[in-house]
Amino acid sequence: MTLPHDPLSDQPTTPTSPGGWNDPSRALITPDDPADAPGSGARAGAGRRRPADPVRELMHRHHDLCARAVDPLEIAAGLEAHGVTDRTAARFRHRDVFGLAEELYARVPRAEESAAAPAPRPARGTWALWPLPGALCAATAWAVLRPDLAPPAPRAAAGAFGTVLVAVALWLCLSRGPLRIAGRGRGGWLADLAGPLCLGWLLGYAACGDWLLTGLVTGERGAYDPARAAGTAVVLALAVAPAAGCARWFALRARRRLTGSRGVGEFATRVRPLFALTALGFLAALAPLVLTARLVLPRPPAGSGPGSVTTVEAAVAALAALLFLARLLAVHGFRGAAVGGLAAACAVEAVVEVTALAARLPGAAPLGEPVARLTAAHGAAVVPAAACAAAALGLLGYACAVLSRASAHGDAPGAPGDGTSRRGPHRADGTHPAPCEAPQ
Amino acid sequence: MRVGLLTEGGYPYATGEALVWCDRLVRGLDQHEFEIYALSRSAHQEAAGWTGLPAQVRRVRTAALWGAPPARRVGRRQRRRFAEHFAELAAAIASPGAGEPGTGHLADRFANGLHGLAELALDLGGLSAALRSEDAVRLLERACRLPGAAHGAQQARVADLLTVTEALERALRPLSLDWYGPFGLARVDLCHAASGGAAALPGLVAERFFGTPLLVTEYGVRLREHYLADHPAGPADPARSGAPRPTPVRTLLTAFQGRLAAEVYARAALITPGNTHARRWQERCGADPERLRTVYPGMDAARFAEVGEGGERGDGAAGAGDDGRTLVWVGRVEPPKDVVGLLHAFAEVRRRRPDARLRIIETRRADAPVEPAGEEDYPARCRALAAHLFPDEAVNAHTVGDNPVSFERLGEPGAPSLPEAYAAGGVVVLSSVVEGFPVGLVEAMFCGRATVSTDVGAVCEVIGGTGLVVPPRNPRALAEACLALLRDPARRARLGAAARARALELFTIEQNVAAFRGIYLELMSHCPVRREEVGEDGAPLPFALPAEAHIPGRWTAGRDGDGSGHRSADPAPSRGAQEHTPGWAVPVSREALGVGPVANHLTEEGV
Repeated sequence: MTLPHDPLSDQPTTPTSPGGWNDPSRALITPDDPADAPGSGARAGAGRRRPADPVRELMHRHHDLCARAVDPLEIAAGLEAHGVTDRTAARFRHRDVFGLAEELYARVPRAEESAAAPAPRPARGTWALWPLPGALCAATAWAVLRPDLAPPAPRAAAGAFGTVLVAVALWLCLSRGPLRIAGRGRGGWLADLAGPLCLGWLLGYAACGDWLLTGLVTGERGAYDPARAAGTAVVLALAVAPAAGCARWFALRARRRLTGSRGVGEFATRVRPLFALTALGFLAALAPLVLTARLVLPRPPAGSGPGSVTTVEAAVAALAALLFLARLLAVHGFRGAAVGGLAAACAVEAVVEVTALAARLPGAAPLGEPVARLTAAHGAAVVPAAACAAAALGLLGYACAVLSRASAHGDAPGAPGDGTSRRGPHRADGTHPAPCEAPQ
Repeated sequence: MRVGLLTEGGYPYATGEALVWCDRLVRGLDQHEFEIYALSRSAHQEAAGWTGLPAQVRRVRTAALWGAPPARRVGRRQRRRFAEHFAELAAAIASPGAGEPGTGHLADRFANGLHGLAELALDLGGLSAALRSEDAVRLLERACRLPGAAHGAQQARVADLLTVTEALERALRPLSLDWYGPFGLARVDLCHAASGGAAALPGLVAERFFGTPLLVTEYGVRLREHYLADHPAGPADPARSGAPRPTPVRTLLTAFQGRLAAEVYARAALITPGNTHARRWQERCGADPERLRTVYPGMDAARFAEVGEGGERGDGAAGAGDDGRTLVWVGRVEPPKDVVGLLHAFAEVRRRRPDARLRIIETRRADAPVEPAGEEDYPARCRALAAHLFPDEAVNAHTVGDNPVSFERLGEPGAPSLPEAYAAGGVVVLSSVVEGFPVGLVEAMFCGRATVSTDVGAVCEVIGGTGLVVPPRNPRALAEACLALLRDPARRARLGAAARARALELFTIEQNVAAFRGIYLELMSHCPVRREEVGEDGAPLPFALPAEAHIPGRWTAGRDGDGSGHRSADPAPSRGAQEHTPGWAVPVSREALGVGPVANHLTEEGV
C-alpha cells in the first residue's frame, strides 16, 4: 500500500485544495529564514535567530494593539486574547502579562488620532417621497374644486380618496427621514396628547376659523368657501418637501460641525448661522409654494392681485413656518417647547374667537370693538397670521438658542455605543423601568 | 433571608448569559427568598422572554439599559447639585490615576461623585435627562481640558463628548431606577451581583443607603470584556463590527469602567471570581485579596456518571470505548481552538502510531446560525487540510477505505450525546490557543478520561496534575503527550480516575451551591443590615433592639453570661472593681461579629 503522503518526510506537500492553511500550517511548511535548513520545517521558530531584545518582536507583532491602547490593561486583555499567558510573559522576563503589557505600553508610542472621521451620512432614498404629499394634495384640490370636471358625487369620492392618499404620503414622510421624531415620551403624556390637539386646532382654524370669525363679527353668515381650506392644505402639503430638505441639511451640517469642533462654545458659534440659514431657506421656499398653490387652484381667493401677497397667504405661510419650527424642535428632542409654541398660537386664536362671541352678548359689544376694527381693516385672516407669526418668532428665538447646543444633536442614528437596536420595534414603553411581579 | 440577585443581560431572560448558573443557584438555595433585579441589554433580549422561575423567586423587577431614556425635568437647585457631583465624576474619569485604578485620591473623587449622583437620583426620581443635558457635556468638556487630564481625553471633540455622555447615561441608568424604595432593595438582606459593571451598581447604592452587604460574582471580568469589545481584532466577539471608537471616547469610557470596577471591588463585602484568571484581574483592578474567594463554576456531573463510573471499573486497563488508539477532540471548530494545530500534531502521532485515529466532534448544531464573517470557512479549511494530510486508507485492496480523521457532529449516530462523545476515545485532546474556563476539559474529567491540553486560560488550574499539559501552538509537544498516553493504558486509567475524582470534588453543582450557601450565611452573620424595627401597625418600635446590639464586638461575652447569648440568672455575688466595667465597654479585641439578637431576628424575619 502506498500513500501519496510519505510518512517519513517531515515536509507536507503543496495543498491541492484551496484554503486549507492558516498561519501555523504555513509556519510549519515555509522556512522563515533562508539560513534554516529546508528540511526542518517543523522546528521553525525553535531554530530561528532571536533578537537580543525579545520584547521588540512582540511590539512589532502587536503594534496596532499597543499603539491604540488607552491603558496597559487594554494591552493585557488584547495579549491574552492572542494567547499570551503568564508563562509566555515569563519568557520576556516579566512576572505576568500585566507587567509585560506595561512595558509595551511604555515603549510603543501612542498613535495620533487621524483627522476627524467623516460624520455618518443618514440613509438616502427617502427624499423621493418628500414632494409626494404636495403633489397628491394639489391634484386632489384641483380635481375637487373644478365643478365643470364632473358631477359632485364622483368629485367627492375623488376628494376622499385623495385625502387618504395624502395622509398616507404624509405619514411616510414624517415617520422616517429627517422629520422623524426619534424618542417617544420625552415630554410625557401631556405633550403626547397636547401636540396633536394643538395641531388639530391650528389646522381647523385655518380651514374655517376666518369664516366663523367673519360671521361672528358681522353677524351675517356667508357661504363657506372651500377654496380657502384647500389653498392652506396645498401650501402645507407642498411645504413638506422644503421642510424635510432643510431639516436634513441642518442635521447633516450640524453633525459635521460636531465632529469638527473642539469645544461646546465653538460648536455653538458655528451652528447658529447654520440655523439662521435653515430658517431663511425654508421661508424663501415658501414664496414659490404660495404661487404654485395660486396656479393650481382654479378660483384664487378674492382680492389677490398677481403681484401682491394677500393676508390669507401670509397666514398660511406663517402657519407653515410655525409648524416647521415646531417639528424641527421636536425632532431634536424639545417636544415641550414645540408644543408650547403651537399652544400659544392656538390660545391667541381662541381668545379672539371667544372675544368675538362674547361681544354678541347683550351689553358686551365694546369687547368686540378691537376685533371688528382689525378684521375690517385687514380681513379676518390677519388673526391667524399674527398669531402664527408671533408664535413662530418665539420658537425661532428659542430654537436658535437651543439648537446650537451640542446635546441637541446627540441622538445621531448609527452613533457608536450600542450595537443594539435604538429604534426598538418592540414596545415603545419598554424604555421605562417596568416593575412586574413574577408568578408565585 | 432575602437575597437580591442583580443581573445585567442575565438570569431571568431566556437568552441571558450565566443563565444556567443563576438558575441552579436559585433552585439550590431554596431556603432563601430571592428577588431578582435584572437589567436587559437589548430589545431582542426582552422579546425573547424569561426562563421558568422557581417558587423561591418572590419578585422580578426589570429595567432596560438600552433605548431612549425616561425623561424627567430637573429644577435649578437640582441642576446645581448635579453639576457638583458630575464634575467630580468627570474629573476622576478624565484624569489618569496615579498608577492603576483603585488607589489614591482619584478613586475617592469618583466614589464621591457616584454616590452624590445616586443620592440625587433618589431625590429626583431620575437622572437621565440631566445626564443627557448640555450641562453634562459642558462639565465633561471642562474636565477634559483640566491640566492633569489624560492625553486622549484632551483631544476630545464635541462629538466624542456627546458619545461619552450618552454612554455614561446608559451606564448610570441603574441609579435612576425605582428599585430603592421600601419594597425594593431596602428590605433585602444581601445583594448578590451576578457580574461586575452595571449589575453591581444597584448593589453599590444599596450598600451605601441601607448598609446591605454586596457579594460580587464574576465568572468573566466585566472590565476585561469591555476592553475586548473595543478591540476590533479580539476573538472574544468577532461578530462585533463597525469602525473602532475614537481614542478620546475609549479613554474616557475605559477610565469610567475601570474606576467603577475599583469602586465595586472596594465596596463589596466579598468577591467570588470563578477562576484564578478572573482573580488576577480583580486583584489588578484593586480588589483586596482578603475578600476574594474563588468559587469554581459548577457543572452537572450526573450526565457523565455512567461513562465516568464505567471508566473506573476497568481494572488497570481502559474503560468502555477506549480502544487504545483513538483521540477525541470535542468543541466548536473555530480559529481559537486551533484545530489546524491539532491536525499537525496528529500527523506526528500517525508517524509513530500508524493505527491511531482522531475523532473531531463538533458541538455546534447543524442548524446553528450563520457563523460571523471571517471564520465562515474555517471548518471547511480544517476538513481540507485533514483530507490533504491524511488520505483515505483501507485494510486491503478490496475494501472501502475511510479517513483516520473523522469530522462528526454531536447528535449524529457516532456520538449521540456529550458523554458518549467523550467516551468515544481513550484520550481527550484540547488544543486551544485561547480559552477562558475550559468547560470541555471539565466534562472530559467527569467522564474519567485522560486528557492532553494546552496551557491556556484556566486549564492548568482546572486539571491540576490529573492530565498532561503542553504549551500552546506546539504540535510536536502535543503529539508527544498523546503518544505517551496512548502507549500506557494503565497511566490513562490512573489519570482518568484522578481527573474524575478532582472534578467531582471541585466542579460539581453541589460544590458551587454549597459554597454560596456558606458565603450567604457568613455575610449575614458578619454584616447584618441594621434596620429600624417596625411594629405590627407599621409604626417604629422603640427599644426593639437593645442598645448593646449596635456595639461592635461580642456583647454577650464576659463573666455574667455563659458565652452563648444567655445571661445568668443571678450574677456572682462578689466582684472586683475591674469587673464592674460593662462588657461592651471593654476595648474590642475581636473581629466584629454581629451575633446576638440582631442576627437572630433578621434570620427569623428573612426566612
